[in-house]
Amino acid sequence: MTRLRRALNDLAEEAPSADLSGMVDRILTGNRRRRHTTAVLAAVATVVTVVATGTVMATVTRSRSPEVAASLRAGAIADLPGGNVGPLEYAYETPCKVDKRKALDCSSAEWRVVTRAGTTYRLPQALAMTAQNHRVPVSISRDGRMLAYYSRKARAHVVRDLVGGSETTSPVTVKESQIGAGSMLVLSDDGRHVVFDPREGTKKPGLLIDVRTGTTVRVPGQYEAVSVRGGVAELVRYLRTDLRLMPVTGGGRTVHFDGTFTGFSEISPDGRTVAAFERRDAKKWVQELRTLTLLDVGTGRRVREVPIGGLPEGEPVMATGPWLSGSELTVVVQDSKRTYVYGVDIGAGKTRRLADHPNAPYLTLPGIASN
Amino acid sequence: MDRHDGFREFVLARQQALTRTAYLLTGDAHLAEDLLQSVLIKVAKQWPKLSVDGNPEAYTRKALMNQYISWRRRLQREWPSASPPERGASHDEATIDRIMLRQAMTKLTRKQRAVLVLRFWEDLTETQTAEALGCSVGNVKSQTHRALARLRRLAPELSDRSSLSLLQEVAV
Repeated sequence: MTRLRRALNDLAEEAPSADLSGMVDRILTGNRRRRHTTAVLAAVATVVTVVATGTVMATVTRSRSPEVAASLRAGAIADLPGGNVGPLEYAYETPCKVDKRKALDCSSAEWRVVTRAGTTYRLPQALAMTAQNHRVPVSISRDGRMLAYYSRKARAHVVRDLVGGSETTSPVTVKESQIGAGSMLVLSDDGRHVVFDPREGTKKPGLLIDVRTGTTVRVPGQYEAVSVRGGVAELVRYLRTDLRLMPVTGGGRTVHFDGTFTGFSEISPDGRTVAAFERRDAKKWVQELRTLTLLDVGTGRRVREVPIGGLPEGEPVMATGPWLSGSELTVVVQDSKRTYVYGVDIGAGKTRRLADHPNAPYLTLPGIASN
Repeated sequence: MDRHDGFREFVLARQQALTRTAYLLTGDAHLAEDLLQSVLIKVAKQWPKLSVDGNPEAYTRKALMNQYISWRRRLQREWPSASPPERGASHDEATIDRIMLRQAMTKLTRKQRAVLVLRFWEDLTETQTAEALGCSVGNVKSQTHRALARLRRLAPELSDRSSLSLLQEVAV
């Protein structure tokens, strides 16, 4: 055996003893457990209610778990009606079902939305899984008023105004087969633009679509959309690390940050700052994911580092969320039982706990790119 | 017989290999569990077809690699690389190799890690590796070349010793 093979072998033996019987049971009963970052990325937005100007109006602290569980048990949940149903609090995808013959049926997976008033609706018009069994995301605008989803019938994305009641079907046809594993969808604040990434993490280009006119702008595959606000899409190329601010008409400018950064926030209300986590030493990953670096998107300079105090001991930050103000950014921390949302004072690094949530699977929340 | 018994048997028979492969890819027990779970959900859905005329092992391997490579990159928690556990005589050659390899793996791209795991842990041929990754044989060769070249730079302890034939032979 070569040394490489032997070293790989030794490394593999560090893996925990395998007993997947419990996992198999969970899969067959549709009771999945999810620890991965993607599940909690969106969670932060549940605690903020943002008006169109970007000002935070209120915070809410409550667990959604019983509501989700109850709605899953409920037999008769109404389809989303037309007209004004009020802004959304979040959306979630139902798990696969097990039929009377104990067969796993994922064709029944569907999206549901929950309004701020607490009403749950089915969203049968939104495709949840493609024929190739790839999950299809939905996206909610920061103020919860706009919802974007992919319609199998229209073969296009649809943006629904949940307050005004209007519905806009994108003139740009997207084949269902184009929606790959890990596709992403980002909706602009005003609901006019969506960024569709057919397969995040690959070089397949994405599309920024003006759903009213059908105008499209190609998004380079190596970039990932963080947000679309004020007519500008924030795109990040990870690891190198570059950030591009691309007007929805195309073009734009790219700023390079000297270092490796992950977990980018949206741009701060000051219009020139983003927060991210610098990765220098893999051995210190927890510490690094508890230290924000503020970056100037005009010059690429580091503004300062902000060690975050008051987080649960030993837990890394899982994601950055919306800015509550020019001086407070939300972050998400998760342990094996709960997901906690904190507001971080980017001046002093002090935190205040805003909410805690169950680690619910496939939660989509306002203003955060979803996949 | 429960119609899921076949799926259950398949997973339980290969659970150790699956867990180790997922761990080698992610370097984190929790992430490995998440990765496996998301992949096995797909396998469960396809099981009726796979059990009749498919190749569950190849399908699972391919799904594992696809899922791993496509995981979103916002925050990369994999390969935390905290001090690796020591075993037995703490500084024997094997231990040093393992530590160096573990650290070097953090510097590879996902595809490079996947290629290394498939070629040198699962012992697949280039053709089988290409099939699992959904790419060309040429791409497997170039990814392997880059991965090994990078390993040579990052882990000279591995490459300075006698039996680096593999690194050299494949990197040509």
